[in-house]
Amino acid sequence: MELLERYLQAVKFWLPSRQSNDIVAELAADLYAQLEDREAALGRKLTTPEVEALLKQRGRPFIVANRFLPQQSLIGPVLFPVYRFVLKVVALCYLVPWVLVWIGLMAFDPAYRAQQTQDSWFAAVGSMAGSLWTTAFIAVGTVTLVFALIERAQAKSHWLDKWNPSQLPPLRNPHQIRRASSSVELAVNWIFFLWWATHMNSTNFSIGSSVHIALSPQWSWFYWSYFILALANATFAAANLIRPYWTPLRATLRMLLDAAGAILFCWLLKANILVGIAIATVPEEKTQIVTQAINTWMPRMFPVAIALGLLITGINIYRIVRLQPSTEPVSA
Amino acid sequence: MNPDSFENLRLELRRGCLVLAVLAALRREQYGYTLRKTLAEHGLEIDEGTLYPLLRRLETQGLLASQWREEDKRKKRFYLLSPGGAQVLDQLLTEWRSIDNSINQVLKEKSNGIA
Repeated sequence: MELLERYLQAVKFWLPSRQSNDIVAELAADLYAQLEDREAALGRKLTTPEVEALLKQRGRPFIVANRFLPQQSLIGPVLFPVYRFVLKVVALCYLVPWVLVWIGLMAFDPAYRAQQTQDSWFAAVGSMAGSLWTTAFIAVGTVTLVFALIERAQAKSHWLDKWNPSQLPPLRNPHQIRRASSSVELAVNWIFFLWWATHMNSTNFSIGSSVHIALSPQWSWFYWSYFILALANATFAAANLIRPYWTPLRATLRMLLDAAGAILFCWLLKANILVGIAIATVPEEKTQIVTQAINTWMPRMFPVAIALGLLITGINIYRIVRLQPSTEPVSA
Repeated sequence: MNPDSFENLRLELRRGCLVLAVLAALRREQYGYTLRKTLAEHGLEIDEGTLYPLLRRLETQGLLASQWREEDKRKKRFYLLSPGGAQVLDQLLTEWRSIDNSINQVLKEKSNGIA
């Protein structure tokens, strides 16, 4: 029966060559035995549609062959949830900001917008989608490759089985402010404040003996604003160290301080603050080019700063929403 | 309840039972097709796509022995429970009865509780 032989040939194609003859011979014996049984019961030969129905009942050759193959997977069920989690993190922390920055540049940077839309808006969106696809493909491909390697390592060494319950992270209190991070924040803020207060109170300052930087008079507004903000941040970090729990008031203060910092920074980017740079060993024409480049690129960073500011504000709002009015524990 | 969920649970439950049934049926030498018919006659339908890979796996594990022989002018592969397979079958049957007993006890407790 030609149809049966064709079916068996198709199954054989998908089988590993070392076992294919053996498996196909066994399947053939089963198939012919079933065929003969049916024919004996009917008292006649089976018609072609009846044979087709019998083969259809057995399933596609590829699927039948697949059942004889060892179960293989690039990333197994143990690592798959972690793999999916990492993909989500990559999408949220890399691809989404990538799109937001593009939107920000298109919205706030006329030069970038003009360059992108010189053909048409449709072409600009198409170009962005193309770049996004390439970026996403590389990111997902890299994560997949790394997890496939981890899977292979796990299959060989079973390193996931070696773990110590005592090394599990401590219970998380979402309202607690970690003392370690408060300590670091306090130290960094105070060092920054002292440096700012003693070194930045001028529109002309030097780095070493050969580099001199001149800033516009607007700098003094920025200096004093940041002076107050840095002092407030340092005081805030000290308060967090003493009482390491978020309260609605403190979370609101955090948001206001961060918002003030973001606004100041955005203003700085747009303020054309740099008047000139003088470097002893570099000709003036070159330093002018550098000055121009800095003054051109700082406003271009404005959309990125806006996006970051919105992100930080979003995190702060989330923290405030999550806090209940009476969540501060009695003891630390 | 989603019918697919029931079907998945049913298949999961059957999977282990089929191994037991195949080992038990192969205390007498049989080839694949007659084994399928034997199991079907006892109410355990098993398709060839499940049976033959299972037979190969059990043979690889040393629980079955097989040999090709000609019967009715056709070459067939006959399977028989190996001595190691017989031991495993005994152990599995003990486990099976223990599980059956435990489930019955749990069911009895539940019905007593309701009463």
